[in-house]
Amino acid sequence: MKNMKPLEKIYFWVILAFMYLPIVTLIVLSFNKSKSRAHWGGFTFNWYIRLFSDSAILNALANTLIIALIATIAATIIGTVTCVALGGLNRRTRAFIMGITNIPMINADIVTGISLMLLFRILHFQSGFITVLIAHITFNIPYVMLSVMPRMKTISPSVYEAALDLGAKPWYAFRKTILPDLAPAIFSGALMAFTMSLDDFIITYFTKGSGFDTLSTKIYNEIKRGIQPEIYALSAIMFTLVLVLIFASNRMRTVQRKDSDLTEKQIKFRNIRNVVVVSAAGLGIIYLALLFGGVFTKNSNQVYVYNYGEYIDPEVIKMFQEETGIEVVYDEYETNEIMFAKIASDPSSYDVVCPSDYMVSRMINLDMVEPLDYEQLPNTLEHIGKQYFETMEAFDPGNQYAVPYFWGTVGILYNTNMVDDPVTSWDILWNPKYKGEILMQDSVRDAFMIPMIRNGFSINTVDPAEIEIATQDLIDQSPLVQAYVVDQVRDKMIGNEAALGVIYSGEALYCQWENPDLEYVVPDEGSLVWFDSWVITKNARNKENALKWIDFLSRPEIALMNFEFITYSVPNETAREMIEDEELRNSEIAFPGEEILNRCYSEEYLGEEGEKLYAEAWKKVKSAN
Amino acid sequence: MFTNRKTSFVMSSPYLAWALIFIIVPIGMVFYYGLTDTTGAFTFENIASIAQPEHSKALWLAIELALISTLICFLLAYPLALILARNKMSSDGILTTLIILPMWMNFLLRTLSWVTLLENRGVLNSILGALHLPQLYIINTPAAIVVGMVYDFLPFMILPLYNSLAKIDDAVINAAQDLGANKLQTLWHVILPLSLPGILSGVTMVFIPSLTTFAISTMMGGSKILLIGNVIEQEFTLTYNWHLGSGLSLVLMVFIVINMVVSMISDQGED
Repeated sequence: MKNMKPLEKIYFWVILAFMYLPIVTLIVLSFNKSKSRAHWGGFTFNWYIRLFSDSAILNALANTLIIALIATIAATIIGTVTCVALGGLNRRTRAFIMGITNIPMINADIVTGISLMLLFRILHFQSGFITVLIAHITFNIPYVMLSVMPRMKTISPSVYEAALDLGAKPWYAFRKTILPDLAPAIFSGALMAFTMSLDDFIITYFTKGSGFDTLSTKIYNEIKRGIQPEIYALSAIMFTLVLVLIFASNRMRTVQRKDSDLTEKQIKFRNIRNVVVVSAAGLGIIYLALLFGGVFTKNSNQVYVYNYGEYIDPEVIKMFQEETGIEVVYDEYETNEIMFAKIASDPSSYDVVCPSDYMVSRMINLDMVEPLDYEQLPNTLEHIGKQYFETMEAFDPGNQYAVPYFWGTVGILYNTNMVDDPVTSWDILWNPKYKGEILMQDSVRDAFMIPMIRNGFSINTVDPAEIEIATQDLIDQSPLVQAYVVDQVRDKMIGNEAALGVIYSGEALYCQWENPDLEYVVPDEGSLVWFDSWVITKNARNKENALKWIDFLSRPEIALMNFEFITYSVPNETAREMIEDEELRNSEIAFPGEEILNRCYSEEYLGEEGEKLYAEAWKKVKSAN
Repeated sequence: MFTNRKTSFVMSSPYLAWALIFIIVPIGMVFYYGLTDTTGAFTFENIASIAQPEHSKALWLAIELALISTLICFLLAYPLALILARNKMSSDGILTTLIILPMWMNFLLRTLSWVTLLENRGVLNSILGALHLPQLYIINTPAAIVVGMVYDFLPFMILPLYNSLAKIDDAVINAAQDLGANKLQTLWHVILPLSLPGILSGVTMVFIPSLTTFAISTMMGGSKILLIGNVIEQEFTLTYNWHLGSGLSLVLMVFIVINMVVSMISDQGED
């Protein structure tokens, strides 16, 4: 670096700064007291401390490391053996095999991921650890082979042959003559494979199953509703660890070079060995720590729960586990449609899910849910208000399948400092004055509900002409929209990132607590009233446990805990009476009165053709920009 | 070389079996789904649907952004690789490490970090505001997606460029200069052609992931901008239409095949 010209030096550092700027940002965020990315709330070590008690993150870390480690070892062995073997084949076969090897390298990750997903589904492979591992080995082998093969070509067999002539066994001769020459290439291939495995998101995303996450997929899930700062802390630790390892191995190298008279090749080989040993030791320590942390304890008494994001008090899950001894495998989704696609493509993936009204109806129609055994739901029968079951008859005739969880409305949350017009109508979301300050819901039906009501159509229309008009409205609106979001609307509104946001009622209360400048309104034209309820999937593997789960949530004290955490309207009458905070008990947002409910409609299932019309129209809106 | 024909086959058979089951067959499945409808009947409709305005728009935008970010990556990486190669850095592997190191931090987090930096009321604008400079409103626009692509894939351009530039013998460059070529001429007539393999593999490694990404466009584009990757992803995770998703994947594979052919031709040229 010393003999670089000044200009070159500047350029070098500018590029490095570009590459490391985001990393510095992440490290800074890991010390930020405020949970929001946008604010500096003071310095804290808190996230580092909390990281070590967050089993979900540690679990994802363990999965990431184990997958990367096993996949790298397997790929390195398979790849190296194949490269050595290819030497004995003729040129054409060799070219053919290398051609196949190139496919996962050149192919888009998304195609590789999808193709493997299709394979696993057709073979009825249960998605999870094994499927992700297979996928990672598959895309890792090429990195090893493409690194080893060129080296292989340059090695002359004469030393090896000489060793054989002198009586060495083939394996011994290979180990002593060829392997040291290949080692650097094998090592750099393995390092590349390990790095790619660690960093992979897309292929893991398509091949992972329920209840299994690597860091990547966990982060992707969390990005949409605000990252837990513990993850920043974890990344900072990992980054520092790698940095230290690299400096350590570099130092070792310099020391060795000074005080020994080994040949260049021997030094190189030792260096590599050292790096391998040091990194293996580092990973081993992490792994053991996780092992003792009890991350890997497996329990066959489980229930697989799939719920909306941030839609339960995490304490409730713990209490359920402690009381029943049933392990809860808990995953979250953003919209009804995402949940539906998951269950439809992998029916046995979850036991109990929490769809909204029209989606319950859709799942009943497509025979995707199990009827409930009310004998096992005593709390549900006792504490849930009868009127809610009556309302639910609309989408669950005979109340055979669904138990209400929470309900609410949709409205506009606005920042009183940024909006000076009165907010009484959906029209304000089309006001060019607020260009770039509007957040819309990234959920098909809820997004279309708005132009439908604005135009005086039914929110359940399947009239192509009406859908066409609503689509055009949304397209006209899209230049004004800052982003289409679901759970992110909270963070952005709290952080003053936008002036107006379409939001579910419960979230509105939470946002107001965090940022008193925010105000919630159900527009005069009317809006949506929705019901989320628990259903058990068809042929669920843990049906009994799923029933226990549902009934546990219907207990008044548990429903109250959840209400206080997520502040949506609770259908549990006993729980509602138990609310201590008078202001909250009488909140118009948490418990909208007749006057508001009279102008709210609920969404119905429109048949597969109808749902498809909306899906296509939504795609048009999204690609309008 | 070290094995006879028979052992060669035995030794390479595990990989061949693996490649058959987990590379060839899955791609066959994409073809199967892409060329059938829900009843299992043969159809070209899934592939033809690329002509629908919302699909073709997503494809063209993806191509445009991928081309732009590949070009920017190249323009940023080539001088850097040249500097590093000419100064004989990295005989100790430090350079490779410095460039690979960021990849040990999850790419989604690094991209999210850019969102934090670029947000309308984010870090960069706070700094600009404090310096009384004009604000930068690029989050949730195609420009922000390009920033994300360039950032995430730059290492994939630097490494192959560096590798091929480092291989160029100094003697060749000295010879060119002795024969009267100025710096620019040496670069244009000697260094650039000799680094062509590196350029090609760098371009491939940036262009293909940029063309097909869905995570970067979702995060940097605020779910407002659909690229072809987003469309395909949503067919699987949202609308649950494997046939259409597979059909559009086949369209993507056309680009991959073109890329493969180009690199094969240039490989043969090298031999």
